Amino acid sequence: MPHAEPAVAVRGVSRRFGHRWVLRNVSMDVAPGEAVLLVGGNGAGKTTLLRVVSGLLRPNKGEVALGGTVGMVAHHTMMYDALTAHENLTFFASLHGLRIRARIGELLERMGLAHVANERIGTFSRGMLQRLAIARALMPEPRVLLLDEPLTGLDDAASRTVIGVLDTLEEQGVAMMIATHQLVELVGTAARVGYMVSGKLAALEQCGGEAGQVVERYRELVAGE
Amino acid sequence: MSWLPVSSAATLQAIIAIASKDLLVEQRTKTAFFSSLVFAILVLTVLYFARDKTSVGDLDLAPGALWVTFTFAGMLGLNRAFVLERENRAMDGVRLTPATPTAIFLGKVVGSLVFVGTVELVSLPVFILFYDVPIWRELPILILVIALATMGFVSVGTLFASMVVRTRFSEVMLPVLMLPFLFPPVVAAVQLTRGILAHRPLSEYSGWLSLLAAFVIIFSTFSLFLFEAILEE
Repeated sequence: MPHAEPAVAVRGVSRRFGHRWVLRNVSMDVAPGEAVLLVGGNGAGKTTLLRVVSGLLRPNKGEVALGGTVGMVAHHTMMYDALTAHENLTFFASLHGLRIRARIGELLERMGLAHVANERIGTFSRGMLQRLAIARALMPEPRVLLLDEPLTGLDDAASRTVIGVLDTLEEQGVAMMIATHQLVELVGTAARVGYMVSGKLAALEQCGGEAGQVVERYRELVAGE
Repeated sequence: MSWLPVSSAATLQAIIAIASKDLLVEQRTKTAFFSSLVFAILVLTVLYFARDKTSVGDLDLAPGALWVTFTFAGMLGLNRAFVLERENRAMDGVRLTPATPTAIFLGKVVGSLVFVGTVELVSLPVFILFYDVPIWRELPILILVIALATMGFVSVGTLFASMVVRTRFSEVMLPVLMLPFLFPPVVAAVQLTRGILAHRPLSEYSGWLSLLAAFVIIFSTFSLFLFEAILEE
């Protein structure tokens, strides 16, 4: 670990919905500037883990400690279709207590959305919405960024844009947890991969950007389950 | 999330932001406002033409007609306030900000108060026109009663709307859950309106006014404190 103090510390976290345990005793740390991929089949607990880390869900057991502000990009945009891109970001900036119009412009520019800033997001493509969702998540300059399937529905160009943004954030010291099924595309961004099986973290290993090795381990740990 | 205020300025900023956003979305879509308004005018019209004027006088029917109209038209608006948060799971985005549950609840209440108040403001002249009630001299006290009842109605309605929004038939569930709780304030508002329109002295209906005020204070506080638990899944 490059830093002594983790940006995310997950300690013995379990979460159930009704009688079904969706997370079972998950523990992991993420260092500042480190990206960890979370991979696993559907229902393995990846999304629930991200929601618990974000604070949207409370764990039934265990605890989560964060080293700073958290931002989250999920399956849904978490924004309002009837508002424009600029209005959506202005609204979330207000809730963060920010009054920085320049920052909204800078984020829209960075995500390649400046030209559609005043259009309602209900008309946006999936790729544009995903980039806007990242802009929303980056609004409070988070130290921890949680991404749930950030490349789903994106074409190659949009995927490259998003991966480029994630690489930059990593260099800037932002800790990231990325739940994905697209591990080949994202493995170059991540330092470690967490393999989740039936709510448990089956393994958390260095990946060194080697897609072949990760895919092999995925088959061994997840697909073979 | 915590009930501890981050700061009063931040809370106020969040309340204004949430209420303004709700009203801006409604101004763009206009669906709920026109639905509520058409419903209100329709109910007032139907009740007016349905009665037998020789046996039911204006003053007998008017208070009930007014509050049936306001109650059900308001419910359409309350449901809308959380349906827009369900789309794209926008409420999750709000919960990820430092805005406290208090600020979120009050922002929703303020937005719905403006919405329901506007529907009431537009339908009140229709009520006056149809029922020919001598209202002008008593208008300030009538507006006070309407404001008080609307405050209680919107507070409780905001809590219940946040509860039912995740259900499949939220439009049906909201009235089913809310109406038993609305019985005391609506009955009080009807009795107060009857007294006001009949030019009775305030002392004759002050008990109803106390009941209405007590409901507003107790249930608004109750709703505010329960809201955080509802926000959690």
